[in-house]
Amino acid sequence: MVLVPALPLAAALIVGLLGFPLLKTRSHIPVIAAIGTSFVLSLFLLRGVLNDTPQEESGGAVGVEKLVRLWRWAGIEGAYSQGEGEQAVSRPFDIDITLRADPLTAVMLSMVTFISSLVAIYAVGYMHGDPGYPRFFAYVSLFVFSMTMLVSVSNFVLLYVFWEAVGLCSYLLIGFWYEKPEAAAAGKKAFLVNRIGDFGFALGLFLLWTTYGTLNFHDVGPDGALPTASAEAEGEASGGKIAVQGVLGQSRLQDPAHSYVGGGVGLAICLCLLAGACGKSAQFPLHVWLPDAMEGPTPVSALIHAATMVTAGVYMFIRCTPLLHASPTAQAIVASVGAFTALLAGLIALTQNDLKRVMAYSTISQLGYMFLGVGTGMLAGIGAGMFHLFTHAFFKALLFLGSGSVMHAMGGIVDMQRFSGLRKIMPWTHGTFLVGCLALCGVFPFAGYYSKDAILAAAHGRAMHDLVLLEGTRWEFSLYQTLYYSGVFTALLTGLYTFRAFFMTFYGETRVPPEAGHHAHESPPSMVGPLVILAVFAFGIGYIMSGSEASHDQPFGGFLHHTPSLAFSGLPAGPHDEASHAKVAALSSLFALSGIGLAAFLYLGERRQVERLSRLMKAVRLYQLSYGKFFFDQIYNGLIVAPLRLLASVCYWFDQKVIDGLVNLGGWLPQAFGAMLRPLQNGLLQFYALAMMLGLLVLIGALLMWPVS
Amino acid sequence: MDEVQLLHRFLMVGALLFSIGLVGFLSRRNMIVMFLAAEMMLQGISVSLVGWGRFHNDWGGQILVIFILAVAACEAGIALALVLMLFHQTGKLDVAVWQSIREANQPKFVDHQLPEETLPVEHWPTLPPAGVEPELPVEEMIHRSHV
Repeated sequence: MVLVPALPLAAALIVGLLGFPLLKTRSHIPVIAAIGTSFVLSLFLLRGVLNDTPQEESGGAVGVEKLVRLWRWAGIEGAYSQGEGEQAVSRPFDIDITLRADPLTAVMLSMVTFISSLVAIYAVGYMHGDPGYPRFFAYVSLFVFSMTMLVSVSNFVLLYVFWEAVGLCSYLLIGFWYEKPEAAAAGKKAFLVNRIGDFGFALGLFLLWTTYGTLNFHDVGPDGALPTASAEAEGEASGGKIAVQGVLGQSRLQDPAHSYVGGGVGLAICLCLLAGACGKSAQFPLHVWLPDAMEGPTPVSALIHAATMVTAGVYMFIRCTPLLHASPTAQAIVASVGAFTALLAGLIALTQNDLKRVMAYSTISQLGYMFLGVGTGMLAGIGAGMFHLFTHAFFKALLFLGSGSVMHAMGGIVDMQRFSGLRKIMPWTHGTFLVGCLALCGVFPFAGYYSKDAILAAAHGRAMHDLVLLEGTRWEFSLYQTLYYSGVFTALLTGLYTFRAFFMTFYGETRVPPEAGHHAHESPPSMVGPLVILAVFAFGIGYIMSGSEASHDQPFGGFLHHTPSLAFSGLPAGPHDEASHAKVAALSSLFALSGIGLAAFLYLGERRQVERLSRLMKAVRLYQLSYGKFFFDQIYNGLIVAPLRLLASVCYWFDQKVIDGLVNLGGWLPQAFGAMLRPLQNGLLQFYALAMMLGLLVLIGALLMWPVS
Repeated sequence: MDEVQLLHRFLMVGALLFSIGLVGFLSRRNMIVMFLAAEMMLQGISVSLVGWGRFHNDWGGQILVIFILAVAACEAGIALALVLMLFHQTGKLDVAVWQSIREANQPKFVDHQLPEETLPVEHWPTLPPAGVEPELPVEEMIHRSHV
């Protein structure tokens, strides 16, 4: 298990150090080998966790987790103290490099390593001939290391560290073509916007520390040892051997109702974490960086900005489910943010002309779905969110790699108005792209159908749950009901914008931009191969995953259920109503299909209706609103960037004129004084003699006036 | 003449010598004259030393003066040699020629009261040739290397 992150790190070091002098165009070999091996290892891990599942459940522990402690990274004795006198609690501040394996981590690990190995293979073809070839693979490998560590560490501080590390890799890879000013600016923007979120995340960590007194996920024994299954059983027998309860540790999860702080503090923690997740997963207030991040090489967009890194926020929330569970208000906010982002991004994606940008907005939209699922606060919803994350990784990576293939053939042009009818030129790309689109829209047998409908069903179920059990208020019921309908409407939008892009690219008369030159052809095998594999997965994975667990009624959740964070008692399971589930599925499929039908009606053939419609929309300014991405960039520019720039220029002026002026005055004064004295040194011997004489006279005069007694 | 009065006269002569030397040193620009003036200051001090030695009935002052004389003689030798070297470099004894120790960027002092000294073209008396002209070694004259 340690090897899973260690191999990519080793590959990153090898390629980073030796790539330019030695490996050159062979740089991909160690990277692909390392990531591929990691993938195989993580599959073993997944298997091991799966096998453990039934035995552990009887042992009284909550869920399955395996911990491997590598070394102690930092420790401050008595950093946390609370209470006085007898009840005084003093705990060390410990950061152990501890890796954990539980179902959630295992799923994430396999997904990440699988997608990244495919993307690495794809990049061999895509990045061929790029001068920064070794650099690219070093970055990718470093990213895989950070991401695998991110999902397997067992401490909030380390989570934060690798959270930043993936952000760094993202920045490096967005700005990979740093000679291009847009790419450099996009990298900077991504980094800065993420910074805002990370600030919130850090605040959340501080709050967690002051509230819970530890940042470890797991429990720690009195001598700093990790709890094993047997020790835990003894510990329970002898009245608790656990020195520090981890935030998400077994002991706390045994009694979730009393060990998690709700109310204002719980809400504040969740909101701070939400800020971090919004930054990383490009949710509503901080979503502006992701579309610009498409300046990076397309494999990077597929790997980082569609499949893996952006899902870190969702992962974090799933990991922190107990915290979220303690605060229903936070759940409602998370769900609302998710649904709103999904809707907003869907609307923006309708009018974008840049193929990759459409995909970027669809990513934001799908991430919104995941947040909606997590925000329902029910096992079904969270499982569905994770399931959607999982399937989304496949089909969105597929779509991005497909767009990359188109870009590759079109000589770097992504503007969909410049080309069309490519299905004859690129049959493989066309076919796989179609599969990806269908999966994204959630058409019946494809992956997206299972996961997206599970989310919608969970949202619907939450609303019903609140209504039937009268647990939630009237207000919560109507909120989730609204979110559910907006999710369904977004399904329509998804169908529309996805197939708009699809038809514009692959149908109509065959047009190829002049930049493509003579190489407007199907991509090389190393690019088509991953596309086909991903297409197979995008087609089948939903069915496989839900089919094997069909009896559980929560397809993916049945397995995830064994994650400690999700396995505690008190987490509502979710709707069990087959009929309503089917109704929801039918409704959303209907909407998705009608979206696709609308796209076909508008964009296949003459496109006369499109002209008319867009004229109408332009007349009521809706078109501009969507095309201008709801002017978020402009608003942020006006509200934040411009004042900051003004402040910066004022500071610059102050620094230049006042501070530097003072400093320069300090330098100028001795100079002026020296200039005054300089004429004395005229080099004439007699002048010096006279000065000596006068000095002597002054001394003698002084001696005469104040005689030495 | 009592001792105090004698001391007063010694000191007065010494002070006079010193003052004359000082004024001379400050006002003259000829290096040799300046050197003489400096010597005069030295002798002024020596005279007052002798006077004090006598006043205190102490030979120390006299002995010191003997030493001063010896040192001054050496010093004179060195100083004159230096003056000679300086004179060889510029052909002038004016001390104002040597002002290169002034601060950089300071203007050079030029004495406007004294116009730049121009040497008159001098005509040395020549003797008419007499006697037999010696035989010149022609070969040697032609092939002689130009030293």
